[in-house]
Amino acid sequence: MTTFVAIRDTVVDKLRAILGDESVLTGKAARYNRTRVPAPFPVHRWAEYVPDLVVLPRTAEQVSEVVKLANRERIPVVPRAGGTGLNDGALPLKRGIVVDIKRMNQIKEVDLVDRTVTVGPGINMLKLNEELRKHNVMFPDDPASYPCSLVGGRIGTSGWSLIGGRYGHTRDLVISFQIVLPTGEIIEVGDGGGRKIRKSSSGFQLKHLFMGHQGTLGIVTEATLELVPRPEMEFAAFFHYPSYTAAWESTGALAKSGLASLGGVVLFDEYKLRYLRRDDEAYIPRPDHVRAVVATALYGTRDEVEPAARRIMRIGRESGGTYLGDEISSGDWASRHDRYATPLHGRLDTGEVVPMSWHCEDASINYSQLPAVMEKWHAITARYAEKTGILDDWGMFAYTNGAYKPWGDYLTEIDIGIWEQQLSDDNWPDWVACKREIAQVALDHGGSITACHGATREGDAELIPVEMGGGFDVMMKIKAALDPNNIMNPGKYELDRAYGLDEKVFR
Amino acid sequence: MIGFRLSAQKPPEARRITDDVIQRFEHIYEVDPAKMTIIEQQDMPAWDTMRIVDSRWEHLAWMHDHWADTILTAEDLGEGGPHPDG
Repeated sequence: MTTFVAIRDTVVDKLRAILGDESVLTGKAARYNRTRVPAPFPVHRWAEYVPDLVVLPRTAEQVSEVVKLANRERIPVVPRAGGTGLNDGALPLKRGIVVDIKRMNQIKEVDLVDRTVTVGPGINMLKLNEELRKHNVMFPDDPASYPCSLVGGRIGTSGWSLIGGRYGHTRDLVISFQIVLPTGEIIEVGDGGGRKIRKSSSGFQLKHLFMGHQGTLGIVTEATLELVPRPEMEFAAFFHYPSYTAAWESTGALAKSGLASLGGVVLFDEYKLRYLRRDDEAYIPRPDHVRAVVATALYGTRDEVEPAARRIMRIGRESGGTYLGDEISSGDWASRHDRYATPLHGRLDTGEVVPMSWHCEDASINYSQLPAVMEKWHAITARYAEKTGILDDWGMFAYTNGAYKPWGDYLTEIDIGIWEQQLSDDNWPDWVACKREIAQVALDHGGSITACHGATREGDAELIPVEMGGGFDVMMKIKAALDPNNIMNPGKYELDRAYGLDEKVFR
Repeated sequence: MIGFRLSAQKPPEARRITDDVIQRFEHIYEVDPAKMTIIEQQDMPAWDTMRIVDSRWEHLAWMHDHWADTILTAEDLGEGGPHPDG
């Protein structure tokens, strides 16, 4: 069993020798600010998860030296990108060293011939695309945290993109990357070899092994990304429906349209509309007959988008939808690129407003199962809201989940407001149980417990072995082989079991 | 800015939209202050509300421009149809 000790002064001195004094932060503010992510957090136990120190490397070689030192000294290392994750990937459960990669934000090469851009992992997609616009190209990875998340974190979570139906998701858009292994070696991974090669049959597909590693298998230090032509035209259309069932059927018809320019289809349920009317100051109109909404968006050349838009309008109306108008359609769609500006308040069952944090529980669910899963998730949330008095159901979305073929399964999310100031040792287990029941429903309906957030923490993580089956044994063997001393983000994904550990992460 | 104007400071009287929501300005919905006793609603001058709304529209326009050269609407296609609130 590996035990961790507080970081000694001699280790701090060695880190300063590797990075320089200004890149080793030991102050309280620097450490507390890198303790948590937007996912609900046991704030009553905040102090237990503060890292011992923070380092800000600039090069892969510096990262490698930091990891080698940590491996020799058996100190936990947790990589941190934008800190926008909706699970706990970047949270230092066992304290140790947080490696903040924000200074590794260079654009190293723009290759307009082979259509790639090579960057440091600390660059943000919005900032990257501001530069790429000069060349009339873009990197179309589009999470709800688009203005604030970083490329390294997108690889760490194997992210999902709002317009993945047209352009693919993070795993499709990252061609290859460089990663520092838990023992300090620097390697390149892709489909096979070749930094700019999209398809290879050489060896194992190592890019996919490390995609979604949540910091448990190393630290990404460089990535080569896909470039696509900057869209000439965007078209967004929102339709409303008198019932969830009508909207669900229309979602299926729109998603199966076969239009190559279709970025995605989004289904808002009745709970979501009630929340938007109540607390989000959204563009959704008020009449009671508006019970569910479906959003679509197209991107591409003018020659593609104009005829496709006519077809989307026809399918939307023929499948029972009523167009919501240009202002709602274009205005709300633009806000979808930046959903981290949600109101941070919710309601008690009395209607009283209280400060709440946003929690988004996600899963991958097949289209046929969406109505049943929706009913069960709301029932679970209602039961725990009544029991704890600190939860508020903010409704559900279902987004097309397939890359290039946006049908079949959906990123399914339930947003839950949580009054974190009221969290305690008494009600935290109820919250974890709520999460676990939601995840179990996804498995019961043949789904996956997460489409893009990851499932690293208690409430989700204990179901990873159930979902993965024999694959979890392979995960543990890989983890133990690559990280013999369990220094890389220990405590995540139940991978401590690979070392004979079986402790609960949060009490 | 040319001196003090009461209309720029004092928001209009609210009208009720639902049990939980009121409205003082067109298209701007507010939580009913009666439901805000644990956390009290902040008093805001009218000009500050409008500044925030205008900033929001600027942000959305910026985001559109960030993603594509041109925004096509259903109205451009001759398919806008009636607004559902109408």
